[in-house]
Amino acid sequence: MKVNIHLNKRVAVIGAGMTQFRRRILETPQEIAWEASSKALEEAGLELKDIECVVIGSAPDAFDGVNLKGEYLSHGSGGIRKPSSRVFVGGATGVMAAITGWYHVASGMCNTVLVVAEEKMSPARPHPQSVFRYIWDPILEKPLNPNLIWIFAMEMHRYMATYGIKKEEIALVSVKNKRNAANNPYAQLGGNITVDDVLNSEVLVWPVQLLDISPVSDGGAAMIMASEDVARRYSDTPIWVDGVGWTLDNTEWPARDLAYARYLEFAARMAYKMAGIENPYKELDVIEPYDPFDYKELHHIEGLRIAQRGEAPKLLKEGVFDIDGDIPSSPSGGLLGVGNPIAAAGLMKVISIYWQLKGTAGKMQVKKPVHTGLAQAWGDLMQASTVIIMRN
Amino acid sequence: MSWEKEGKEGSLLKWYDIMEAEKYEYTVGPAGERFFQGLKENKIIGSKCKKCGKVYLPPRIYCEDCFTKIEEYVELKLDDAYLDSFTTIYQDDDGQKLAEPVHIGLLRFKGVNGGLFCYLEGTPKKGGRIRVSNFNYPLRISIE
Ligand SMILES: [Zn+2]
Repeated sequence: MKVNIHLNKRVAVIGAGMTQFRRRILETPQEIAWEASSKALEEAGLELKDIECVVIGSAPDAFDGVNLKGEYLSHGSGGIRKPSSRVFVGGATGVMAAITGWYHVASGMCNTVLVVAEEKMSPARPHPQSVFRYIWDPILEKPLNPNLIWIFAMEMHRYMATYGIKKEEIALVSVKNKRNAANNPYAQLGGNITVDDVLNSEVLVWPVQLLDISPVSDGGAAMIMASEDVARRYSDTPIWVDGVGWTLDNTEWPARDLAYARYLEFAARMAYKMAGIENPYKELDVIEPYDPFDYKELHHIEGLRIAQRGEAPKLLKEGVFDIDGDIPSSPSGGLLGVGNPIAAAGLMKVISIYWQLKGTAGKMQVKKPVHTGLAQAWGDLMQASTVIIMRN
Repeated sequence: MSWEKEGKEGSLLKWYDIMEAEKYEYTVGPAGERFFQGLKENKIIGSKCKKCGKVYLPPRIYCEDCFTKIEEYVELKLDDAYLDSFTTIYQDDDGQKLAEPVHIGLLRFKGVNGGLFCYLEGTPKKGGRIRVSNFNYPLRISIE
């Protein structure tokens, strides 16, 4: 393994658990965190007392409507009387929580970490979109009252215009992911839809239509990470974390190239270097790129250097990213199909890759044998990117 | 528009804004439902871990120590209630002096984890039997 930083310990994932992703889950945020955590412990064959340290990932406090959510979630996350911390970089949080768990172990600080991500998007009224009202620059952007959908519409339009991509080509991502989600027992919105369904769905902010977007959702996800000696004691099939990367790009929207996810390229290069990956297209077997919108999956496949700029739609049409393709992409169904409880959705992507590499993904399992997988998330003011690479 | 601008000679141009979602609709959770249902029948309900025997008030669906699911609910005995601490409030959180001081008590039960903040009626004092005068949440208690 090639690394660009000093590692004390090799890190494995040995267990994971998730709640169902649903709109308006009855359980409280703490109870959601507990359900995911206890399932992860069960899969790892550990008890809470075996866990040395807890990392909680949760995006804005404003979703659950509770301030200081790290503290609020801590007993449901098993974090009481342990070194516990919370990370949040918006949408990139789910993978950042896994990366944080990774460096707690890689540094040699502890041998077992419980990583928990929780988000409940449904309490905010009239719509969770309103909690994004104050993420903008208060002087330069806020006077236009932006919302996320129109910012993404602007980005999507730039992406389409730069490379001559049609909406039909982008809609195929939504079709693929919702189809994959039908095989995922945790998913909120699996099903068979067509390109026409997407093109005929309600226009929200042109060119973004209703079926281009992931649904509002509640959910929790948790994962157990361990040092090599512990992992070998508790698991016959530990999955190794061989590369991590994360970056912040410029927050200033008008200063960014909207057609290309540069924020991701930097994070990906860091992770590839650590994992010794030179040609991602050839060396990655399965990927979970972050797909809160259908065009973002394509955008991110290009940022990951799996496809040349503007080329991802062509590969998608050829079936490269299908569940039986060369590089199955979002076999879980992604955020478009599983749902988008922000931090939990990111960790769901890491867990999906973990289950794929372990061979326990059930009906989601991709057709070909897989040895190297990648999960990615993105967010904050849309400039934070996080990447994790795992092998079996 | 929710913002306005103000420009004054010699001062920076400023925008004023209010940061909030319109409202939130919270769920109490399955254990929370049992608790609030219990209050309607003048009962205080906790939940009991079958592994370690700990009783939680307010009830919840997991034990934070054993991390196992809790399915047993128990009615707490009002005879076991005691006042753990109390305080008297003279100002609200905007710094305004209250017309009448308000007493708050921390109600606990012997052998039970957790407790409830309640309005405390009458003259606060240590010891004495607790009487719950109103089971609507937040509870009102007094000391006999
Ligand atoms: Zn217990």
